[in-house]
Amino acid sequence: MPFHIRESSPLHWVLRIISVSALAALAVYIASDSAPSTLGKITEACTLAIAAVSLNLLLGFNGQISLGHSTFVGLAAFTAGYSVNAWHWNPWVSLGVACLVCFVLGLILGLPALRLKGPYLALVTLAVAFVWPTVARKFLDQTVKASTLKGMRLRPPTWTGLSNNRTDRALFLFWLAIVLLVVTYVIVRNIRKSRIGRSLVAVRDNETAAAVMGVNLAITKTVTFGISAALAGVAGWLAAAQLATLDENSFTILSSIKYLLALFLGGAATLAGPVVGAFSYFFADDLLKTNATKWDFLPGPLSKGPVASFLLGVLVIVFVFIAPYGLVGFIKLQARRVAVVIPRPLRAAPLATESTEHISPAVAGEI
Amino acid sequence: MGHLLQYVLNGLARGSIYSLIALGLVVIYRGTGHLNFAQGEMALFATFGAWWINDHGVPLWLAIMIAAGGAFVVGGVIEFGLIRPAGKKSPFAVVVITIGLFQAFNSLSGLLFKGAATGLPFGTLFPNKPTDFFRLPGGAIWRYEYVGVLVTVLVITALLFLLFQKTKVGLAMRMVANNPDSAKLAGVPTNKILMLSWALSASIGAIGGCLVAGINANVNLGTMFGVFLLASAAATLGGLDSPLGAVVGGLSLGVIESLVTNYPKSWWGSTYIGADTAIAVAFLIILVVLLVRPSGLFGSTRVERV
Repeated sequence: MPFHIRESSPLHWVLRIISVSALAALAVYIASDSAPSTLGKITEACTLAIAAVSLNLLLGFNGQISLGHSTFVGLAAFTAGYSVNAWHWNPWVSLGVACLVCFVLGLILGLPALRLKGPYLALVTLAVAFVWPTVARKFLDQTVKASTLKGMRLRPPTWTGLSNNRTDRALFLFWLAIVLLVVTYVIVRNIRKSRIGRSLVAVRDNETAAAVMGVNLAITKTVTFGISAALAGVAGWLAAAQLATLDENSFTILSSIKYLLALFLGGAATLAGPVVGAFSYFFADDLLKTNATKWDFLPGPLSKGPVASFLLGVLVIVFVFIAPYGLVGFIKLQARRVAVVIPRPLRAAPLATESTEHISPAVAGEI
Repeated sequence: MGHLLQYVLNGLARGSIYSLIALGLVVIYRGTGHLNFAQGEMALFATFGAWWINDHGVPLWLAIMIAAGGAFVVGGVIEFGLIRPAGKKSPFAVVVITIGLFQAFNSLSGLLFKGAATGLPFGTLFPNKPTDFFRLPGGAIWRYEYVGVLVTVLVITALLFLLFQKTKVGLAMRMVANNPDSAKLAGVPTNKILMLSWALSASIGAIGGCLVAGINANVNLGTMFGVFLLASAAATLGGLDSPLGAVVGGLSLGVIESLVTNYPKSWWGSTYIGADTAIAVAFLIILVVLLVRPSGLFGSTRVERV
């Protein structure tokens, strides 16, 4: 018999505070004790995580697949990089503008998405991801007149007390990435836990039923697309802040597939899933890549580069069999044997109060 | 005008290969409702296999047949060993597995075949000396190689249609596509049929891969990615559950690609015209078509019962 915890009970709060402070302590420890290259990798992993979180809002909670998120990330990166370099904008202003541009493009892409479902939507978004490098190339050729676009070279602000050398810059970007990831996570979490979030899930599970219950399908779906795109824009801005140069090959369909893989490996439609998935995927990939070069036991004709990539593919397949609902889904399933969080009764109309008694542990929601 | 004819005919040859790969996608989609992301890379691996067999002194046509046979077995094994058990676990699992296969097959090709990344020379089944072409009215030429590819694909397609429409196995495949539960009740061995679908799909993919490599005279790790994208676009354009749609979609995409790449360079006001631009234009056309017909040109619309 698992142990029952009521949501928002003192015990639940204690557990929450412990887990959040443990994560914060981990971040502080890493920041104090890591080489700039490690911090840089974590920053990259955060970029991947932000993109996966934004995709989760769209695919996990709203059921609309997008293979075009690399376009939003790329568009935001280019917007930020170009506006800061060519027009000398304040980088922080460019964050807002990049997100806004992505939001608008997301709304526009959300319109065809109203009529298309499943693989058909996947294909149209794939098409967008495919067109992006061509557009970016043309932009580089005609407007920038160079083969690459410079990144933003974000300097740490003076109040942080950090200088602009490599170590301090890596540290600053690390904390910036963590903060942006937390902000994105909290935005998606709050959307999910609100009335709007429930309408998103209702649309995902049964459009007709959702419409009958008064959800405006067109607005819900397009705005979700827009918000998801804007959040993907945060990832793009962060990439522009970190990378020295950007070109049209920085954000291709393969990046979109990476976001999708990170999301599924972590667990779609769970809040923590995309973050966990992104970090696991990124560091599994990184570990394999750095270690494969040292494997001397491989027979001569086998080249070492593809070994890492092959093993990652195999690992992904094996992993799906162990945890078909992703890492977070797997952990939840195991944790459910030990303890179950019983969701707080909804603040619903008075008439509905009696039904809250019957919520079974089986439907206990996200932690 | 003569060049227009030539570009259309060349486009038809390339398009016929897209329609072949698209047919593979459709066969799998009809059976299981999944898009096989690994279709192109499985074909790539088989193509490298054919190259390797050919490299050991086996005539190319035989090597391609052996590779197609091998792909048949591998496709069946993948369905039996990976897709079927995963499908029972979660709806996302199959998508992730096909993406994993995509990566695994691509890197396995790089792993096993030295020089795969930069490209290996691939022979062609058809005469391709500079003088091997028909003269068409208007000064256009039609190379034997393109004729050969087009005819080969059309023959394979015709055989597939005979299989679907005139044989008992084909009837069972259509039945599983139409209603898996009823098919099972009527005594159709659904699992075997799905396995056959994957095997067949992998096998025709292998032939498609070899034909692409023959036209390019080269096979490298990136050969099939663009082809797969266009083939999936073709399948979607035609309707993912319609074999006829796959053929029509593939042929029209080939023609669009050929026209955009070869024809009016001045239209774009830029020197940058590559295969990418052609694909971009093709995708835009598909977007418009899908907006009008959300299930593709020949796809069946599913009516949801409330």
